[in-house]
This record gives sequence, structure tokens and C-alpha cells, in this order.
Amino acid sequence: MKQLLVFVLFAPLFCWLAFSPVYKHVLLIRQALLQQEADYLLEIGASGAYGYIDRDMVAESRLRLASHRFRPELLEYDISSTNGMPADQPSAPLPRGVGLRLEIRYPYERLLDIDRLIGLDPPGSDGRIVASGMKMSEYVP
Amino acid sequence: MHKLLFGVLMAVIWWMLHALQWDEERAMGLLFEVKRAVNRAAHAAAQQADRDKLEMGIPSIDPGLARAAADMYLRANLRLDRDLLPLPHSPLRHPPAVLVFDVINEDHEFPYTYYNPEYDYRVVLERPGVVMVVRAEYPRLFAVLEPVVWYVKGAAELVHV
Repeated sequence: MKQLLVFVLFAPLFCWLAFSPVYKHVLLIRQALLQQEADYLLEIGASGAYGYIDRDMVAESRLRLASHRFRPELLEYDISSTNGMPADQPSAPLPRGVGLRLEIRYPYERLLDIDRLIGLDPPGSDGRIVASGMKMSEYVP
Repeated sequence: MHKLLFGVLMAVIWWMLHALQWDEERAMGLLFEVKRAVNRAAHAAAQQADRDKLEMGIPSIDPGLARAAADMYLRANLRLDRDLLPLPHSPLRHPPAVLVFDVINEDHEFPYTYYNPEYDYRVVLERPGVVMVVRAEYPRLFAVLEPVVWYVKGAAELVHV
């Protein structure tokens, strides 16, 4: 009887101990996948052949991430340049020397809700996993 | 009673192992993040061609512009302020230090083998380039992990026009 009582008292803590590492791991992997995608887009986009990250590249990137169980409609892409030029126009690539900035955001999708068991508040609905980077364009007209 | 004690002890050990694992994964993540930032900073620095020399047909890097570009890209990629102090969203808590910033210019013969014995870094450059070494300290979440300091090395070449 006493053991049962102890178990019931500590049940939330046991649940958290047993399952929260799995959620933390998913979070780490998602962050890593987003960062890998951002690096790939920057590597291609800033290369001498392109100088931009356009709509088609973003659409392909969404498909790639969707194959890792991301929901493509929730992914947010933010593409800008250091000198204020639009960085997503194939007709006007960024010239060499201008930085190409990319930020990919994705919501936490209740991954941290399990922390409520030990009294930690999860990030709100506007919380985002962010992967970003800036690389100098190599494009020469 | 002893069963309860055993349970609590196991929970503590279990949690410490996870803390260690999580911290190690984050420390590796930081290594890659700093490596990317150093690569991009070196890449931006190596694109700062000296225009006067370029007009004479000599591909060469302007060291002053190169350093400014490297600092700018390091700041942008690691989210640091003007004095390289970490901003709130930065992955670092201690300011990183640029230990080596070498510009290899046209006064060397190419292919040139750069070797830095202090950090044991060797790289072969086919064209003028920039070599960087940055020191970054991982901000630990738990004291289970020993302090982690990364010496991140990177090099880039001037991309020909």
C-alpha cells in the first residue's frame, strides 16, 4: 500500500524522467536539420552561379524538410541581404561582396509540453526553432 | 524504505546521464556552428580583392578590408555585438577570440602550404587566401560536463573573377 502511494505521488516525475529525453532529442534533431537546410541553401544561393534564393529553391527545400516529417506549411523562410536589395530575385542576383542572409523558423509543436509535469512553462505559440546564417555572395555579373 | 532510496538514487543517476548526453550534443552543435561562422568569415575576408592591384592583373587581398569583413560575418553568424560580446540569442556566453588572422598574399609562391605549429593547422592554398583560428568556450548547462573549449580553424581562397 505504501509503495503504491509513493508511486502515485511520484508518477509525474517518473513519466518526465522516462519520456522527456525523447522529446529533447527530437528537438535537437529538428534544430540540426533546419540548420543543415539553411547551410545548404546558403551554400548554393551565395555561389557564383546564383546569388539569390528564389521561390523555387524554397519550395524544394520545403519538400526536403517534409521528408523529415516537418509540416511544410509551418516553415517560415526569411531571406534578406546586407545592402537592402531583395535577395530572392533571379533577375537581380546579389553581386559579389553583398551578404545573403537566411533564417528558417519552425514552431516547437508542443515538443516541450512534457516539461509541465515538473512545473516548467513551455514556450508560447509564437516560440520558434530558428536556424540562420549569412554568407557573402560570389556572383559576378 | 531502502527501495525508495534506491529509486531516488537511480533517478538521480539516470538524470545525470541524460544531462551529460544533452550537454555533449549541444557542445558538438556549438562546434559546428562556430565552424560555419569561421568558414563564412574567412570566405568573406578572402573576397576582399585589392582593386588597385587587380587592375594591374595581380590577384591580392586587402588585409584591412579582409579583417573588417571577417569580423562582420563572425558577428552576424554568431550573433555578437560590435565588441564581439554575445547578444541574448547568441549560442555563446563568453566572447570568442580571434587568435590567428593571416592573409596569404601574392608575395608567396602558389601552391603555398600554410602551417601553424601552435594550433597544428596545415592547409594548401592555390590562390591568395585567409586563414583564421577562433577560440570559443561552450556555455555548460550542467556541471556534470567538464569545461569545453573549441579552437576552430578555417581557411578560404580568393575566388577568381
